[in-house]
Amino acid sequence: MITARIARVALATSFVCAAAQAKDTVRIAFVGPLTGGNSAIGLGGRNSADLAVRLRNADAKSKYQYELVVLDDECKPDAGVQVATKAASDRGIAAGVTHYCSVVAMATVDTYHRFGLPTIVWGAVLPDITYKNDYKEIHRVNGTMINQNDTNAKFITERGYKKFAILHDTTDYGKGHDKYFTEFVKKYGGEVVADLGVGADQQDFTAELTQIQAAKPQVLYFGGLTPIGVRIRAQMDKLGLNAQFDGTSGIVSDDFIRGLGPLAEGVLAFREGGPAEKLPGGQFFLEKYKAQNYPNPPEAYGPFAYAAAVLLMDTIEKTGPDRKKIIAELAKVKGRDSIVGTITFDDHGQNTVPAITKYVVQDGKWVLWEESEYASGKRKLAGK
Amino acid sequence: MTREGRERLAQALAIVFVAGLSLALREDDFALFLVARVLIVVIACLGLNVQFGYAGVVNFAGATFFGVGGYMAAVLSRGTGVPHLFILVAGGIAAALAGCVLILPVLRTRGHYAALVTIAFALLFRTFLEVNDSLGGPQGLKLPELRIGPWRFNEPIALGRFEASFLLNYVILALFLAALAFALVVRVDRSWIGVQLDAVRLDETSAAAFGIPIARAKITAFTLGNFLAGVAGALSAHMVGFIAPNNYSFGESLILVSILLLGGIGNAWGLPLAAAIVIVLPEQLQVIQEYRYLLYAGLVILILLFRPNGLVPRPLRRLGGA
Amino acid sequence: MTLALFAQYVMNGAMLGMMYALVAVGFTLFFGVLDVIQFSHGDVLAAGAFLALGTWVALTKLGVVSPVLLLAAVVVVSALGTALLGAVFARTLVLPLKGAPQLNVLLVTLMMGTVLREAIRLFYPGGSQPQLFPALLPTTAYGVGGFHLRLDNAILLMAGALLIAATHFFITRTRIGLAIRAVAQDEETARTMGIDFRRIVLVTFGIGSALAAVAGVMDGLYYNEIFFGMGLLLGVIGFAAAIIGGLGNLYGAILGGFLFAALQTIGAVALPFASAYKDVFAFAVVIAIMAARPTGLIGERASERV
Repeated sequence: MITARIARVALATSFVCAAAQAKDTVRIAFVGPLTGGNSAIGLGGRNSADLAVRLRNADAKSKYQYELVVLDDECKPDAGVQVATKAASDRGIAAGVTHYCSVVAMATVDTYHRFGLPTIVWGAVLPDITYKNDYKEIHRVNGTMINQNDTNAKFITERGYKKFAILHDTTDYGKGHDKYFTEFVKKYGGEVVADLGVGADQQDFTAELTQIQAAKPQVLYFGGLTPIGVRIRAQMDKLGLNAQFDGTSGIVSDDFIRGLGPLAEGVLAFREGGPAEKLPGGQFFLEKYKAQNYPNPPEAYGPFAYAAAVLLMDTIEKTGPDRKKIIAELAKVKGRDSIVGTITFDDHGQNTVPAITKYVVQDGKWVLWEESEYASGKRKLAGK
Repeated sequence: MTREGRERLAQALAIVFVAGLSLALREDDFALFLVARVLIVVIACLGLNVQFGYAGVVNFAGATFFGVGGYMAAVLSRGTGVPHLFILVAGGIAAALAGCVLILPVLRTRGHYAALVTIAFALLFRTFLEVNDSLGGPQGLKLPELRIGPWRFNEPIALGRFEASFLLNYVILALFLAALAFALVVRVDRSWIGVQLDAVRLDETSAAAFGIPIARAKITAFTLGNFLAGVAGALSAHMVGFIAPNNYSFGESLILVSILLLGGIGNAWGLPLAAAIVIVLPEQLQVIQEYRYLLYAGLVILILLFRPNGLVPRPLRRLGGA
Repeated sequence: MTLALFAQYVMNGAMLGMMYALVAVGFTLFFGVLDVIQFSHGDVLAAGAFLALGTWVALTKLGVVSPVLLLAAVVVVSALGTALLGAVFARTLVLPLKGAPQLNVLLVTLMMGTVLREAIRLFYPGGSQPQLFPALLPTTAYGVGGFHLRLDNAILLMAGALLIAATHFFITRTRIGLAIRAVAQDEETARTMGIDFRRIVLVTFGIGSALAAVAGVMDGLYYNEIFFGMGLLLGVIGFAAAIIGGLGNLYGAILGGFLFAALQTIGAVALPFASAYKDVFAFAVVIAIMAARPTGLIGERASERV
């Protein structure tokens, strides 16, 4: 398989070289977790960014030939700073599509700032990444967990649910979601009857779920990623816990449904950005992704990595591969269409995404809430 | 030339080599970052070498003690005005003290049982850091710049016409500390303590029969080892500028142990080579992206199968005369 | 706490303990014959589970629908395949290192675990995300008050108990079991009595790995989900359980497995701090136990005292 991949890369490169003798090559970096527990999302992001570069290189009108330099941050801060130093100190790299894990994104902002590398975060959701410092280099296409939980809490309380149990993993992702969801759900009049943290690699949740069951919640909010989300939903069924399952962006993946089968039916989840399949170019992205035969799906954040890479290349087309000019140009991004909705960077480089997309699982698919039979009243959420 | 003289010369040559390499690379930030990391890991592994190699005390929580040092540095440099040079020492002391919690079970157990004690401690420490928010929780802590007197580590070096990356500062400090740790460990090995530790490792019963205080020898080795790991951790935390529980997982401890084994356990000379391989190899494998750990693990297996005593095996101790 | 709730916790804990015990038994068997720790044992379990899932996928594609037939085929293929894998590991990694420091064996097997884990992640289709494991057992549920018992859980618990009993019978009552115990007690003497040492080692690794495979299948059937990293924590906990009980002792491994599950359950529900501290609690108790009983709860008592 490795040899096949190398052969493919070699073949692709030789094609590309023949086609683009006249063009200068511009290198952009992609950084994300390619090994370890979060690798599924990292590989989805990598493939999506790779797709953006391939499509651009196939376009005869583009001024430059692009090359994606892929680096693995392992979701660990020290490994992240190491690869960030590698990318940022390499003057041949014009810009970067960086990080899914918030803790790594936090650790690396200083490095990018020091070396002046313009970066666009493609997945990390901690608000501090853009707001803690005033670094002109750092941008982010996806929204923060604040937006997501505001919408989620408002939506779920409007459905008439009152008693909530929260289960979150103890990583930065889960703890952040726990914090903001608790805040917003109380604001909208909900009551939190249980709030438990679990390990990100834990397998058995029966003790926690039994405890939650004793508190008789109507909704179980889960802040965490697909692997343990699948386990928790499956074990709820084992214990006969019939609360509505309400998840975060971390479970919006095909694997969540594949891992659960019929049990996934009726699960709610929220994601920043517009729905790729409904936005201009979104359908195109999904088709092209399929055509490339990547071994892994794009996952929830693939479209963001794609949008970030496209935005960078659009900018470079205009400014050339000059880091300072790219930063200046990115600051002007306003109302730009992309496959994740319009992108407008505020003065912290944060995309002020208005849209949060609501999803519900219906017949083994993530369906937009507005188009689902749950919204039309044909099907009912748990306990309704 | 005596053996001691030859070793001194080799040490001096090694230092000159690293210093020369770093100077040649002074503009290359990434290379300097790797050099500094290798040196820091060497300091930590020298500590483990005293434990595993000399006293035969197993420690699968190397990264944990490294982390204790890092967290101590973060707490001190964020919250207090303690001079930064002292913070490095304090990191070591904190790690040595944390080790004291384990002294009783470590002294009483052997082999795999002792391994479990340290593994349990490693898992406990990481979970605790993640769950407990007072030390930053899973989101970690940011560290300020390291300063020793007027020497500011995050500023690029500019002396007249000589210019270099800010990372050269860390390389210089790491090289100095590594040389110090190396000299210390080699001295310990050559002294009567070293002989005692050998006796304890090879046969506790007869060591006791010769009147060697086993408990004291083991405590000395365990504490000294953890101290070095803690100092290395404090320096690393400052260089990376950020710490989080993810950095101090059980997996990281295993990486330290594998460096020790690859270098040739009990022999401080193999460590720099092994550390360079273990740090730089996965980095070079970035090209194969998600396949790199598969390949890396396979390579380590091959090395262990074909060189079971490490790349530079420990020579036998010769007592009396050259 | 109501009685029904208490019963629920006991049931959950028992199931967890059974899984840990099965893994721990493997560790203890390997240690018995070779004095080594086979640290990839947890990943061998994951390999067994994925082999089972692969078999199921293949058979359903071929049109087999009978759950009984499927279950039998899945268990047999997984156990045999994994036994072979275990024996191959013993032959290529563990036996050649006999005589090398114990630490080397530990590291080699750990690295082998990484290779297995990464291979599942990269080469099993979609292996980087959790996979749905089919429910092949009847899922009829009985609810009494807050207590919720499902038939499949009860069957799994009994199957686990039977499996442990069968292993015990095999080790204590059969000729091969006798040979295994002889090798465990004294390799040299066993050799002079005409026991083929290499064969016994391979058989033991085969059996231990098959047990892990069955534990992996049980894990899949119980949680209805398997994951490439599932063996990592199970391996560490199984190792801890085998050590707490006392290495080389079958009863010790079982005791250790259930004890660890009990600690985790108590840590999660019965103590006055947040449930996320449960592993901190469980591992702290493990350290304390090691300080009090340095060779495990049912350990070799004959340690030299100087």
